[in-house]
Amino acid sequence: MARYGMVIDTRKCVGCYACRVSCQMQNELPVEESYIKFYEKETGVFPNVKNEIIPVQCQHCEDAPCVSVCPTKATYTTKEGIVLVDSDKCIGCKYCMVACHYGARTQDHNTGVVEKCRFCAELVAEGKQPACVSTCISNARIFGDLDDPNSEVSKAIIKMNAQPLRPDLGKAKIYYVR
Amino acid sequence: MVWGTIIAAYLFLAGLSAGAFLTSSYAARKYPDAKTVRIVGRLISPIFMGIGLLLLIVDAEAGLKDPLRFIYLFTNFSSVMTIGTYFISFFMMAAAYIALMELLKKDTNKIVEYVGIVFAVATAIYTGFLIGVIGAVPLWNTAILPILFVVSAFSTGIAGTMIGSAILDKKVIHQVMSIKKIHLTLLISEIFLIFTMFLITSSTNESAAQSVSLLLSGEYSTLFWIGLIVIGLMVPISIEALELWNSSKFHQSQAGIEVAASGFQGITSTLITESAVLAGGFILRYLLLAAAVPVIFL
Repeated sequence: MARYGMVIDTRKCVGCYACRVSCQMQNELPVEESYIKFYEKETGVFPNVKNEIIPVQCQHCEDAPCVSVCPTKATYTTKEGIVLVDSDKCIGCKYCMVACHYGARTQDHNTGVVEKCRFCAELVAEGKQPACVSTCISNARIFGDLDDPNSEVSKAIIKMNAQPLRPDLGKAKIYYVR
Repeated sequence: MVWGTIIAAYLFLAGLSAGAFLTSSYAARKYPDAKTVRIVGRLISPIFMGIGLLLLIVDAEAGLKDPLRFIYLFTNFSSVMTIGTYFISFFMMAAAYIALMELLKKDTNKIVEYVGIVFAVATAIYTGFLIGVIGAVPLWNTAILPILFVVSAFSTGIAGTMIGSAILDKKVIHQVMSIKKIHLTLLISEIFLIFTMFLITSSTNESAAQSVSLLLSGEYSTLFWIGLIVIGLMVPISIEALELWNSSKFHQSQAGIEVAASGFQGITSTLITESAVLAGGFILRYLLLAAAVPVIFL
């Protein structure tokens, strides 16, 4: 069984928002709603400064706090490690939004259901790549099986020493190269 | 604010309801003659819990549109919200039964009342655990918060019960001096708990420190200092302390109670004190939700 994860190379990300737009199209989201948020972070002291653009979405935590707090079991983790929301069970209590360390969830105000990045589970089931990965203009995103040492994503993590955003906040399945 | 004013109001009403139930049970045992206090506490308890639950339903948009989904609330035992749903269900059933018996002027089943007491306490504690277990918000993620919520719940419960009793029966509030003593103790503890919580959490965590500075000197400082500390705590503490000081001067006799009730103070001081406590109880919860700075993850 695969255990899906992703690498995001912020050194390659140019902040073009193509991933975000393709995600919105794939998930039929309105313009003001999106599952990918962009953050900018400046580090260092002049003249040695680095400006990073960091796309953040659901990190598909292995021990996801959203899954344990959800009172209705609407949020669950699939066998492949993808965290999903069953939109027929969600009551819109927003407990998961409060519990998420990454602010990765948004509420759809037409249905009241809370949603987020789903690693494009339906595309992945067909053997395709998530929309944000296949659309990225600079190949900053790599998706695949974390349990397979020969997968592109596993190799990239080792080669570039990719790390979760905050390993202390739980076992995330998105690794960042920064 | 992911959780806003509606949730603050719910947390407040759940605490008030649980506190009123405990107050009425206490009054029923300690002051069998002060029937008004018992009756008011027993009646307002399920009413305010009911209003709180309606607010929750309105806030849960997806459930509101498809109410059958609320059944799923009972399914995930790792969620404090599910556990709270059970607590509230049992509490609500007991409180509604006791209120009904009171209306029908029948004797209540003792066992149901004890079950009610247990689940009233559980309901008050759970409102603290609900937000206390959220690791993403360090201001909430402290062991003091559930204790603070229980103390505040009992205090607002006493306040709600005393306002209702004062309006219905001038004399009765001068009869139940030990409730006033408990109330004073709770209010003083609340100040202590708030500052302990702020001092300790803000020195361990950056996000909590931001939350605390939002409250003490930032965006919410006026509401914190004037609304919570002065109106919600200092005013009632002062008046309550003065009342107790005065009442200790004369022996508690029927005549004394008559004098106190017909005196110039009458019920005014009670109404002011207890309304201030209620305002403070709501402001406390509102502020804790509003000043929730999440962990900075970048």
